[in-house]
Amino acid sequence: MGLGFLIGAFGVLILAHAAFSTIQYRGLLKILEEEFSGPPVNVIVELLLALSFCMWAALTAAGKFLSVHHHSEENRIVSLPANMDFLIFNHRGKVFSPGTDMRLKH
Amino acid sequence: MVTKTEETQLNRLEGQVENGGGGAWDYLCFVRKLKVRRSDKVLKYGLSILNDPKKRSSLGPEEWTLYEQVAIAAMDCQCLDVAKDCINVLQKRFPESKRVGRLEGMLLEAKGSWTEAEKAYLSLLEDNPLDQVIHKRRVALAKAQGNMSEAIEFINKYLEIFMADSDTWRELAEIYVSLQMYKQAAFCYEELILAQPTVPLYHLAYADVLYTLGGLENLQAAKKYYSSAIELTGGKNTRALFGICLCTSAIAQLTKGRNKEEKDSPDLQSLATAALEKDYKQRASDKVSVLGSALKSLKVSS
Repeated sequence: MGLGFLIGAFGVLILAHAAFSTIQYRGLLKILEEEFSGPPVNVIVELLLALSFCMWAALTAAGKFLSVHHHSEENRIVSLPANMDFLIFNHRGKVFSPGTDMRLKH
Repeated sequence: MVTKTEETQLNRLEGQVENGGGGAWDYLCFVRKLKVRRSDKVLKYGLSILNDPKKRSSLGPEEWTLYEQVAIAAMDCQCLDVAKDCINVLQKRFPESKRVGRLEGMLLEAKGSWTEAEKAYLSLLEDNPLDQVIHKRRVALAKAQGNMSEAIEFINKYLEIFMADSDTWRELAEIYVSLQMYKQAAFCYEELILAQPTVPLYHLAYADVLYTLGGLENLQAAKKYYSSAIELTGGKNTRALFGICLCTSAIAQLTKGRNKEEKDSPDLQSLATAALEKDYKQRASDKVSVLGSALKSLKVSS
């Protein structure tokens, strides 16, 4: 996954470089007073390269997939929650003496 | 609903806290989220946090939820003075609160003074007649006194207003089963399955009740529900596998006299038996012989 992120960052850098060189090319054309028909060939090549890098990075640097089945090992329901609203205190645990140090100290 | 990952996480946190590894606050939050009943541990670790002023102040506004959680755990472990102290602290902070009023009613219940608890709950209900939590506490009060018919009456009146409350339907089903009123319990489980069809434990409980009722139609329905429980758990539920074997042998015993017009699934029992044997070999290999003899006796009687 580290490699995916690296390649993605590299692709974004190439994209930024392509944008920068297009702006430079337009500045050059303004000096020469010619029409701006389209970006030069090397910029197009750079753009395609950056596109392929970014696509590859987006596909490989995906996160961890979680299971969707409700009977898979992670998702299966093991027990129901104890009904805390209907809790009664009149159970056999009453006879067990609590620890004598159980006190709220303030 | 506690899933397997949550259960393993809970056990891991519990082990970590028990061995002195810290993380008590995470454990307490997790117990509160999953709504499991671990009152002794909650009391011990909650008090350790509350008695330490530095840790208490680092909690911020969640300190009061911790007081409530520790108060209920203390009542469950019968440490009534700890509960009283916690409730006093909450009372000072929130003077006119209904939640604190409910806690005071629960403390009276834990002490055993049933009439005063009833009076407290009734006075809380006067201000707010549709308070779900107080209605449920009245049911619990009747149940604690052993007055099951009154508890059933209260639950029925509550369910007429709040029909979608699955927890209450489950409680009613369990009360009916404890009183052996299986037809009514079956009705409650049907409501639960309608509301939440993907929880396999409801299917299992319904199948158990149908199997207990007996009779050919109920046994066939029980077999169907055991099968759906197996499907929903991916075959991991041993109880449902046993249920299928028992149902098949009971059905075969009932239809022994009649001619076997149609056996809809003759290999269901053999499949269930094979799955059980594989499971036992994997998890408890010394008990495989016991399992084999038990299954053989089922087949002999069928």
